[in-house]
Amino acid sequence: MTLPLPAPIVRWLAAVGRVARITAEHAGELGLLSWRIMVAIARLKVSRHDISTQLYIMGVQSLPIVFVTASLAGIVTSQQGGYQLISSSPQYVLGTLVVQSVILELAPLLTAIVLVGRIGARITAELGTMVVSEQIDAFESLGRDPVAILAAPRLIAGVITMPLLVGFADVIGIVAGMIAANIDVGMGTETFIYGARLFWHSWDLVYGLSKSVVFGFAIPLIAVHMGLRTRGGAEGVGLTTTQAVMFMILTILILDAMFPPLLLQ
Amino acid sequence: MITYRDIHKSFDLPVLSGVDMMVETGEMFALFGPSGTGKSVLLKTTIGLMIPDRGDVEIDGLSVYEGGPSALLEVRRKVGYVFQHSALFDSLTVLDNVAMGLPEEVLQRLSTIEKVRRVWEALDIVNLEPKEVLSKIPSELSGGMKKRVGIARAIVGRPEILLWDEPTTGLDPVNTAAVERLIKRLSKELEVTSLLVTHDVEGGLDICDRVAMLDGGTLRFCGTPVEFRACPDPVVQAFVDRAAAEAALDMVTDTYV
Repeated sequence: MTLPLPAPIVRWLAAVGRVARITAEHAGELGLLSWRIMVAIARLKVSRHDISTQLYIMGVQSLPIVFVTASLAGIVTSQQGGYQLISSSPQYVLGTLVVQSVILELAPLLTAIVLVGRIGARITAELGTMVVSEQIDAFESLGRDPVAILAAPRLIAGVITMPLLVGFADVIGIVAGMIAANIDVGMGTETFIYGARLFWHSWDLVYGLSKSVVFGFAIPLIAVHMGLRTRGGAEGVGLTTTQAVMFMILTILILDAMFPPLLLQ
Repeated sequence: MITYRDIHKSFDLPVLSGVDMMVETGEMFALFGPSGTGKSVLLKTTIGLMIPDRGDVEIDGLSVYEGGPSALLEVRRKVGYVFQHSALFDSLTVLDNVAMGLPEEVLQRLSTIEKVRRVWEALDIVNLEPKEVLSKIPSELSGGMKKRVGIARAIVGRPEILLWDEPTTGLDPVNTAAVERLIKRLSKELEVTSLLVTHDVEGGLDICDRVAMLDGGTLRFCGTPVEFRACPDPVVQAFVDRAAAEAALDMVTDTYV
């Protein structure tokens, strides 16, 4: 005779099973959506006008917030680095610290998180509203493919925009860090640049931009996927948007953690 | 002709449990039933907007679910769908919204003038003043106008079948009566097969050739409006009585409140 498992263990196993099922469901749907987007792109079903519109919304309209975020990231890194290093290391190390931090981590990660809030949430809410107001059904009833019309332009724009924004954030972050170093610890531009060049590896730039391409793919993909899963009315849109933001941030952080073992060994 | 064969659909609970129904070519057919009995779900299975768990739908002998994506596209081209809340595309003007009702390859081939002419014609048929509404976006239109634009989008591609999903929901009595007259006129003028899902039982009985009632996921009744009114089935009777009472209450409310 087998003894029944204690209730807490049964509940725990049920919870694990539920999480595994939901994860597999999302993974399957994301895979299918990616495939449908690739097919739409390969069949040239994606409107160039829609891509331009999304490039403008994701790229040009994000410039101010990316500028502010990158500036502050550069300034804070410079201030804290100056505070910790000034008495123990040569001054020029601060240049190395700011440039490496901005290029390897801060610019790609912070830009991605800004885009999750500015673009990802917007896409999910927009598509979620279209689902609950039957606009997605209307596309299908008219023989149009909502993936080609709505998802593909956003994904293409994300992949193009993200590296450009990260490149912009790199420049702004470094310049802001250099100015802050000058104001805070009186470090001259030449010393800062000397430190930056001393430990410069061109690969670091490739690394940072590679991350941005992956983030630029993941954010719109998850946002579209969650938007198309929306059920219910306004409450459903709110709930899905919140879940999408959490999902995107978590994915960005997990992907970010996967990069060093893959590309920095 | 639309044929539904043994349609089953469940969400958390079963909604449709083996519906068999046939809508003849050229007829106006109304589908009634209490809320939540799957009327709209059945309508959506007609063109694959919801996929039944079991069963099939045939349109003029062409299977919606067994012919693959190309058959589905062919079916969708034969059908115009009028959504409950119009489902107009928020960011597009009335011109572009209605033009979306034309097949993609036709739209790409048409000159701008020809596109405007086709949209103009469709708006004219639904009694909208094209000059006034063409450049407006949906948020600038009243509820009744949105419905008419939705109908114009459904008919601009000259479909053989029109599916109406509660087209009078949310309209005042004047607009409800006007839309019902429009449905009847369009079905006759355009010589289309119409399947109408509605809560407005009296309106449906007035304009349709045949009616059916869904209850508990199955077809409870199918016949002419006269047979429906005289049906001895207590569930059908209770539904007819409740609908008549609601219609009377609506009339009193609209008159005095």
